[in-house]
Amino acid sequence: MNERWLLSRRRFLRTLVGTGVIAAADLPWWDAPLISPRRAWAAEPVRFQFSVPEPTRITLVTSLVERFNQSQKDFAVEVEFVPQAQARQKLISAISAGSPPDCCQVWDNWLGQFQGMGALEDLTARVQSWKLQPDVLPTAWQTVTIGKQILSLPLSITLDGIYYRRDRLKEVGIKEPTPDWTWDDFLKIAQAFTKPDKNQYGYGMRGAGTWAVLYPSEFAYANGAQVLKDGKVVINSKEGVDALAWYMDLALKHKVTPPSAPTDGFVEIVETFGRGVTSMYQHNSGSVGQQKKNVGAENFATLPVPIGPAKTRASFYFSETVTAFKGARNKEGAWRFMSFLLEDEPSLMYCKTLGLLPARKSIVEQPDFKGDPALSGFLNSFSFAIVSPYLAYPGWGGKLDSDGVPLIQQAIVGKISPKECLDKFADILTKNMA
Amino acid sequence: MKARGIPSSAAERLLGGPVLWTGLAGLTAFALGPFIWMLLTSLKNRQELYATPLRYLPEHPTFENYVEAWTSPITPFSRFFLNSLWVCSATMVATTVISVLAGYAIARFRFAGRDALLLVFLATQMFPSVLLIAPLLTQWRALGLIDTYQALIYSNFSFTVPFTVWMMVGYFSSIPRELEESAMIDGCSHFGSLCRVVLPLAAPGIAATAIFAFVVSWSELLFAISFTTQTSMRTLSAGLLYMVGQYEVQWGPLSAGVIMSTLPVAVLFTFLQRHLIHGLTAGAVKG
Amino acid sequence: MSTAQAALASRRARPLLSLRARSLLTGYLYLTPAALCLLATVAIPIGKAIQLSLYYDVLFKPQDYRFIWFDNYIRLVEDPVFWLTLWNSFVWVFGSVILQFLVGFAAALLLHQAFRGRTVIRTVMLLPWVIPGVVVGLIWQWLYQPNYGVINDLLMKADLLHERVAWLSNPDLAMGAVVFTNVWRGIPFFAIMLLAGLQAVPDELYEAARIDGAGVVARFWHVTLPLMRPIIVVATATRIIWTFNYADLIFVMTSGGPANATQITSTYTLLQAYANLDFGYAAALSVVLLLIMLAFTAAYLRITKGVEETG
Repeated sequence: MNERWLLSRRRFLRTLVGTGVIAAADLPWWDAPLISPRRAWAAEPVRFQFSVPEPTRITLVTSLVERFNQSQKDFAVEVEFVPQAQARQKLISAISAGSPPDCCQVWDNWLGQFQGMGALEDLTARVQSWKLQPDVLPTAWQTVTIGKQILSLPLSITLDGIYYRRDRLKEVGIKEPTPDWTWDDFLKIAQAFTKPDKNQYGYGMRGAGTWAVLYPSEFAYANGAQVLKDGKVVINSKEGVDALAWYMDLALKHKVTPPSAPTDGFVEIVETFGRGVTSMYQHNSGSVGQQKKNVGAENFATLPVPIGPAKTRASFYFSETVTAFKGARNKEGAWRFMSFLLEDEPSLMYCKTLGLLPARKSIVEQPDFKGDPALSGFLNSFSFAIVSPYLAYPGWGGKLDSDGVPLIQQAIVGKISPKECLDKFADILTKNMA
Repeated sequence: MKARGIPSSAAERLLGGPVLWTGLAGLTAFALGPFIWMLLTSLKNRQELYATPLRYLPEHPTFENYVEAWTSPITPFSRFFLNSLWVCSATMVATTVISVLAGYAIARFRFAGRDALLLVFLATQMFPSVLLIAPLLTQWRALGLIDTYQALIYSNFSFTVPFTVWMMVGYFSSIPRELEESAMIDGCSHFGSLCRVVLPLAAPGIAATAIFAFVVSWSELLFAISFTTQTSMRTLSAGLLYMVGQYEVQWGPLSAGVIMSTLPVAVLFTFLQRHLIHGLTAGAVKG
Repeated sequence: MSTAQAALASRRARPLLSLRARSLLTGYLYLTPAALCLLATVAIPIGKAIQLSLYYDVLFKPQDYRFIWFDNYIRLVEDPVFWLTLWNSFVWVFGSVILQFLVGFAAALLLHQAFRGRTVIRTVMLLPWVIPGVVVGLIWQWLYQPNYGVINDLLMKADLLHERVAWLSNPDLAMGAVVFTNVWRGIPFFAIMLLAGLQAVPDELYEAARIDGAGVVARFWHVTLPLMRPIIVVATATRIIWTFNYADLIFVMTSGGPANATQITSTYTLLQAYANLDFGYAAALSVVLLLIMLAFTAAYLRITKGVEETG
């Protein structure tokens, strides 16, 4: 009896110590955060989640937040940086748990689903009485409007263009193409760029991620195809299939794409261009800054997407936005901060540092943007750019990732024909039009 | 185990000699290879990182990646390091205590439903932890534990405890019950036999499970990001992800961070290794 | 002290009832902390998930939220991608664990010997497990890169390869490549666990066998393996279960591609949950996976006689 009692008591004590250690883990002097804005004495803090925490953006956003906090005394913003891959998950969990942040930086293709969840705050009334409302590009408003409601503020817009190496173009002796170049020009240049023995390829095709579906769709528009027409899905029309066949031939027949194409995502196509493995790739203006560092500003430039056989072309608009949530506690503070981000200096700083195009007309006009050859391809695309047709239905967003991308990958490796790929894809889109 | 004065056979000589050395060399190269690459990468500046063709040794080795990571106010690795150290140490200690208790109970005491209970412990591992996030988040928020170390420590229990309990059951089971019983017949008390016979024999096992509890919570990422909001409360693993940008992975700072985050665990393990030594059984079994 | 001893001895002579009752009580007491941990952190969410799998729960269609009995499960059975992921999961799990076990055991045997620098080598062997899975995925993805990755570069320099191989982008090679990375990551687990098990085998048994004339292999087969059976079973069982659910590596390296070649059931579950926001279906997938693993573990334990005591 003695021994057993002793045994249990010792065990018990040790367990107590263990839990005591844990309880003491909340020591007060660990709590002082290293980065903390000065708190306004009165208000509830405004929680802002930012979803791309790399060092450049962290510095930029932190300084913007501090500027806001110092410029007024009513609200104090606290920013939380969440690594990008986890950002959407965390947001969804937070919304489900009933405690979303007050505002968050998101992308326009997330809005449909969040709106379906009933999570977003309707900003229409506030926007209409906002002084900067007319200065924001109408297409930018389009990307954040669902139904008749404005659900988000566009921080920057961007669209897709083609990056190419100017120095290599000189090496192979081809003249620089004009912004009105065609598919044939594109193919010719890609073939000239491709030197497998030197480990160089013409076009960094994207096989992974949502945009693996969007890029060939943009090419399809250049052939006269569309995604939606009269409310029906027509991406698998003859024009669409022919366009996809031409696009896939880049990989299958002409072999101007690197062998890693089927699983290359954002990071890979930017890195392969940056290392000189590919000499052209399709992307939005977001990687301009990186390529200036990787390749050198004088060695590359951008062009709009080439004109196709149907003598037309399209590029999809896409905006980075900041949005507020219905379940938030500090909506007034959220609005004040969000509208601050679109004022002259913050907007200029944000877009210039990150190589994005501002959503405001008066800022786009400024020489930082108009005069940069690296941005010329994008600026020249405004005339024919459209809002991404895939934003039409909230059910489509997830399907692009879960079903669209595998179909495209199968087509890139040649397992299915372009017609099969598009037929199946159209089928899925039609089923999810609810 | 070296032969003690008994002549070794040819097979033993072969195994103890060339096989041993080639095996070790191969395994070490395999395990260490990527780390060497990370080390070399962390000493390069940006131009060298992006050079083609691939360059292995840095021409101008620099420590700027390390300095940048450690002192940067926006990704304060020093702070992340302390957070990780605290959370993982607490997890390790608590988990070991809990699992030694539970493991001993399950291994030694026969009670109904023992097998089913073991299966239940294991079953809790069979659920994807990602789907646990939302309900746990609600729980922690309700208890006001967001941005605290406790939330992380308690959440870590969800994957350390089941596995360590199982491990301890395994180790305790492989110690023949006769040893304790014979010790008790020899006049040792029940508790004494536990302390003097079972625990020393199980010491390697306990050390191994302790180090694993530490390592597994050190590399844990998902809970750390989900249950904290302030940069100052992030752990080292979460901090590493800050180097993964939207369109670019910052290999320089990332590899510096990786090297920095493996060092403490390596140090801890070197200290714990003395328990992974054979030979605490001498004299415990009657002849 | 001697009265207590005598009392103990005499109790042991009597039928075990009271001792048994006391053992039971102590046993349950020891179990309480562990049970509490699990209840709070895992059991309740699992219960909620089981409940969720019986509903139609697509987050952006809250108006359609309703109880649908087993429709999610029926959809699962009819989903060809699900069966593909199940097959991939088996390949992934058994490929990884068998290789990890074999190499890890070899490593444990090697590390068990006494040699100079043993401490250092043991520490080195632990390292692959220390880095978070996401970062391991990123690093190996970089290594496997066909155009600027170290693996292709070294193989081509050594003349073993004449054309750049796209390890992760080729549907036939992708699974092998991710399994290889998983093996790299998982060897420390087996190496250390089995090493600890090896340490606990008493020397006397080896001596006795040696005196009886048993050679190295015979000693291994008749002394080492039987005594280590509980640990081997436990280590492999936990590892199998962990690997089934291990989504990080594949998610980062290939996202389940190309064309679902590396899509395992747990990554498919993640995709359904976070891309399609279909939490009902994702919950059903997790429950099915849970049942499969339970059935497998019960069978595995029975066949290997689980953690029955040795000797």
